[in-house]
Amino acid sequence: MIRVNDTNVEWRSGMTVTLALEAMGYDFPLISVFVNEQFVPEIDHDSFEIPDGADVKAIHIHHGG
Amino acid sequence: MASACKVKAGDLGKIADRVNASFGRYKAMLMVCTGTACVSARSFSIRDRLALKIAEKGIADDYLVVGTGCNGFCAVGPIIVVQPEGVFYQRVTDKDLDEILEQHLVGGKPVERLLYEDPATGKVHTRMDEIEFFGKQQLIALRNKGIIDPENIDHYIARGGYAALGKVLEAGDPEAVIREVIDSGIRGRGGGGFPAGIKWQSGRRAAGERGEVPYVVCNADEGDPGAYMDRSIIETDPHTVLEGMLIGAFALGAREGFIYIRKEYPLALVRLEKAIEQARSYGFLGPDVLGSGFAFDVSIHRGAGAFVCGESTALMASMSGRVGEPRAKYVHNVEYGYRDRPTVLNNVETWATIPVIMDRGASWFASIGTGDVAGDPWAGSSGTKAFSLVGNIANTGLVEVPMGITLREIIFDIGGGIPNGRSFKAVQTGGPSGGCIPASKLDLEIDFDSLSEAGSMMGSGGLIVMDDQTCMVDVARYFIDFLVDESCGKCTPCREGLFALKRILERICRGEGEEGDVQFLEELCGTIGATSLCQLGATAVNPVMSTLRYFREEYEEHIRDHRCRAGVCKELITYRIVADPCTGCLACLKPCPTQAITGEKKKVHVIDEEKCIKCGICREVCTFDAVEVV
Amino acid sequence: MADRMEITVNGKTVGVQKDSYLLAAVTDAGFEVPTLCHHKDLTPGGSCRLCLCEVEDGGRKKLVTACNYPVRGPVTVRTDTAEIAQHRKILAEMYLGRWPGVPVVQMIARECGVTTSRFASEITDDAPNACILCGHCVRACDEFMIERVLEFAGRGIKRHLTMPFGEVDHHCVTCSSCAYVCPTGAIEIVDDKNRPLDAKAIRDHGMKVNAEMATLDSKQCRMREVGTANIVDVMDAYDLLPVHNYKFGKHPEAKKLYSTTLKAEYFTQGAADACWRGCSMACAKAVDGFTLKTGPYKGQQVLVDGPEYETAAGAANMGCFDGDFCVEFNFYCDTYGIDTISAATAIAFAMEVFEAGVITTKETGGIELRFGAADEALTLLHQMADGEGFGVDVGQGIRWMKEKWGKDGEHAAFLQDIGMEVKGLEFSEYVTKESLAQQGGYGFAIKGPQHDEAWLIFMDMVNKQIPTFEDKAEALHYFPLFRTWFGLMGLCKIVWNDVVPADNAVQEEAHKIPGHVRNYWKFFEGLTGIELDEQKMLDQSARVYNLQRILCRMLGFGTRKDDMVPYRAAGPVTREEYESRADRYDGQLADVVGVDPAGKSTEEKMKILRDFREGQYEKLADAVYRRRGWTEDGVPKVETLAALGIDLPELVEVIKADQ
Repeated sequence: MIRVNDTNVEWRSGMTVTLALEAMGYDFPLISVFVNEQFVPEIDHDSFEIPDGADVKAIHIHHGG
Repeated sequence: MASACKVKAGDLGKIADRVNASFGRYKAMLMVCTGTACVSARSFSIRDRLALKIAEKGIADDYLVVGTGCNGFCAVGPIIVVQPEGVFYQRVTDKDLDEILEQHLVGGKPVERLLYEDPATGKVHTRMDEIEFFGKQQLIALRNKGIIDPENIDHYIARGGYAALGKVLEAGDPEAVIREVIDSGIRGRGGGGFPAGIKWQSGRRAAGERGEVPYVVCNADEGDPGAYMDRSIIETDPHTVLEGMLIGAFALGAREGFIYIRKEYPLALVRLEKAIEQARSYGFLGPDVLGSGFAFDVSIHRGAGAFVCGESTALMASMSGRVGEPRAKYVHNVEYGYRDRPTVLNNVETWATIPVIMDRGASWFASIGTGDVAGDPWAGSSGTKAFSLVGNIANTGLVEVPMGITLREIIFDIGGGIPNGRSFKAVQTGGPSGGCIPASKLDLEIDFDSLSEAGSMMGSGGLIVMDDQTCMVDVARYFIDFLVDESCGKCTPCREGLFALKRILERICRGEGEEGDVQFLEELCGTIGATSLCQLGATAVNPVMSTLRYFREEYEEHIRDHRCRAGVCKELITYRIVADPCTGCLACLKPCPTQAITGEKKKVHVIDEEKCIKCGICREVCTFDAVEVV
Repeated sequence: MADRMEITVNGKTVGVQKDSYLLAAVTDAGFEVPTLCHHKDLTPGGSCRLCLCEVEDGGRKKLVTACNYPVRGPVTVRTDTAEIAQHRKILAEMYLGRWPGVPVVQMIARECGVTTSRFASEITDDAPNACILCGHCVRACDEFMIERVLEFAGRGIKRHLTMPFGEVDHHCVTCSSCAYVCPTGAIEIVDDKNRPLDAKAIRDHGMKVNAEMATLDSKQCRMREVGTANIVDVMDAYDLLPVHNYKFGKHPEAKKLYSTTLKAEYFTQGAADACWRGCSMACAKAVDGFTLKTGPYKGQQVLVDGPEYETAAGAANMGCFDGDFCVEFNFYCDTYGIDTISAATAIAFAMEVFEAGVITTKETGGIELRFGAADEALTLLHQMADGEGFGVDVGQGIRWMKEKWGKDGEHAAFLQDIGMEVKGLEFSEYVTKESLAQQGGYGFAIKGPQHDEAWLIFMDMVNKQIPTFEDKAEALHYFPLFRTWFGLMGLCKIVWNDVVPADNAVQEEAHKIPGHVRNYWKFFEGLTGIELDEQKMLDQSARVYNLQRILCRMLGFGTRKDDMVPYRAAGPVTREEYESRADRYDGQLADVVGVDPAGKSTEEKMKILRDFREGQYEKLADAVYRRRGWTEDGVPKVETLAALGIDLPELVEVIKADQ
């Protein structure tokens, strides 16, 4: 189990940042991701594997139209 | 013609039969060449007067006058060919028409004085196929030249036109079309020599992967000085270009095609516009091509006359309304071309050849030419190639010959050799950025690869023949001068480098060459060739490199001895009258623009070197060969 | 996206992203190649040819220019072969021969080992600020400003920089981007008409935004392509797009209003289409050649300014998922001078009231005003403008309609719950139900529920960055003041957050986009010479903000009761709404409220949830007023005014009684 923005998400082996965001339905283009407070650049979202029990923050930068 | 009803594939044969039957009712058809060269010698007037005279005589039911595209034998135009027997009349004027009418059509006896006399053998030929100029040619792209009226779609259909398209649409297998084109081995006739089928395959793949509708483009921006293959094909047989594009569009899944044609081709433009209009009215272009459900249309984009716009990326920039400058081709047009969509560009001759390949099959086409292209289009050069034969050659004109023919065959057999008793020195192939090939290579079997190995290139098919009164340094200077003007100036080596080449060559031609110039030229050509952004710059060094390779001694003579052996470079030569042959005829005195020649009747004339501007007129007018250049 | 691969540069392995340019990989690997035409913020020029590298791909070696060579496979690269050095030498010599006095040319020549040149000629220009034809200016004009005022003319050696026809072109907005990117000083700024104190400081920061727009926007919000309409797609995906008078947050047909659809079918592309010529973002999109189907201009082709997000979302709110309708509605609102937001929200309200049977065709004058009734909505819009028929009612706004139809008392509570207005202004187009902070963002906004004070939905509901009342109150303090400051300065808010710097993610308080906040301060500083920091900026705003609240109070709107939102903004009003998100609401009852939903009827659960949520809102009001220095009734305290230095007698007079 990992926490993504304070929501429980089922963890599975090989779960990358991209997969975690998909699980949350997050497809906004401006998301900054931190895994256990460590920043993960967008270019690594496909390859960075989230460890079980991790706390993931997916910060959407948006302030309306 | 121009019927509003749309033609189905099955109707093509009926139209052909009807038109051929109507042709069969005539006793003879008079094919008047209305290609650009003959038109400039008033062949439109000849065509119209001939038709009028025939009508006035009341024999219009027996004789049909047809204005055709370029016959090819431009040196002897205007040309009329009387079919079906094939009597070939040359250098015809308005004044000759009555004689042709009375003596030939009515009297049944060809007008002998208008027949062609072979300058080499002195033999008079009545029929076109007896003339050696036509003998070694094999016509594919130009198969309808001199036979059909390019402004009448029915003529094209009568010759089997649009049948290949019908076949392709009926089979309905785009992949099979691409396989056929790959198997035929046909390589791009625009100069690059890239296998057309592989280009199509990449375009289709890119379009499929991205889910985008690709475009097809026809490059008719032929800009090489002295080259007019593409213009002639369009003027002669515009529908074969459209049919080729239609087949390509079907294979690629394109719905729109563009023809980029240079502004200097007004006649080709008019014929293309008419052809498109007629093809639309027959339903060959439009929302439902030949009733197959396939939709495709073509529009014309006129270039503004920049040589560099023949380069495919510059052409697409120009089509997009931007400055016609090339971009790097690391990403090809087949991936991101016009409007960033996959775009397949081929030149006029390539498109014109496609219907024949589809009609007669890949293996037939592959059997013509060099190498075995069955498994790999890069392994040789299949098919035929059109060349425009110009310069110091007897039979100036347009020819189509199988790949692998030797330069000697083209220049001496077809071209009739070098006129005025001069000897062959070099032939420049491939347009301004081609190389000059010397006499020692006359037996070269020409194809894409052999020409590259010889330091030149196929280019679009220009052949400029030069005799022994040609200075090779001056030739290099001339072409570099052209390219300095036509370089777009975007990249540094082409912009600054060609300008530097020009300055050095001019200096050498002025007799101010220095030790080290040749090495600097080589160094500079190496960098321009290797680092230029596009092929214009990369190949621009060919005229210099090839003349340095084959005629290096001429450079050295200019630099070291201040001598131009061909007598061309003005600063290096002096005109003199040789006492012996001079008869004192006074003929050279009057034409001399600077009154530099003095002399009395029957006394040897003298040229004042101070006044002489080395224009060469005296040498031209002297019938005794008394003027010499030293 | 990633498609990472490894390549070898001079024997060193580096990771690169597929299709990225080789130059970046070479630099990443710690090598340098010379260049005279590359600029980090512009697309590659590929014209100087100095950045040549040798690329070995599948055994074949070729020379490429690193700046514009896209890496597509695991190639082996050399940046320094003898052949490359030779070519670079000749190229540098060409530059030195033509422009011997230009410092960057001299520097590159030195790097390439060239001291003299064989290329001097009659066109040699020894000025130190000669134009070296690098094309930075041409690309900056196009890519930064979407103008094409500068271009090269003349072929070959005659190539030179020019404006069209060699004349000063009026399309030039004197943005000075060209001069800014010029490496030689060939383009000089001779006149600064506005005479700012420190033009360079302003330019340095402004150009950063230009560069971000040119290089990042297409990957971020696509403002240049579709403007704010990009938000339609996002809000639908996050269940925040108002549908059927804010009942729902998404709809299967919403794709018909997505920015991708609008771009493909409506928006004119590639035009410099901005509020003012010179904006590098140019987000105000337009639809060219649109043929109107209704109204006084029926059949005419017109140019429509928009639609922006709020207009497209308004169409969704009316249930009209139809691009043609949206564009036509947009055009007539603009033409009549009607706000698209108020019009759409008011019509959506009337639609729901009609569907609920509170009004019938008797009131509407025969209009079947159901959700999705696009033709009817346009008819109603024309009536509103003409002051005719049912348009007279709807045109006077939701508060007026609520009063008219609620008079008998039977429907008053329902109308109050679904009538989406606060202080008489219609809501703008976001669903706030699941974000308490955003309910406050709307409710506490001075002039009514508009999104330009605080938009906190993502921070609150998605990011969970502001969990406590104090966190939310802080956000409802900072953002309204920050955004008031934009208004005070006459500056656009969009370049603050609709494009963000590439390194924003790693900044502290990244959600505030600190890099861009700094841009605004530096602009202010460059203009006035007054140094700014966060506190000073907030203080400037707070004076105005409190003044506005007092004016609001004078007009009869500035107390706690005026800040209350209709329940539709805070929770499910109808069974249908509750049940559409039953999992979420049941979960919240169990986890947050502490009530077991099992065995309870929907009505019971709705009641419990409502009490809870309304209570939360009251607590938020307490926290916000406290943070703002206002009384429990939401009126600025005299001491707050004093601290801000605006305790003027005439202001104190207004609020004295409320203290």
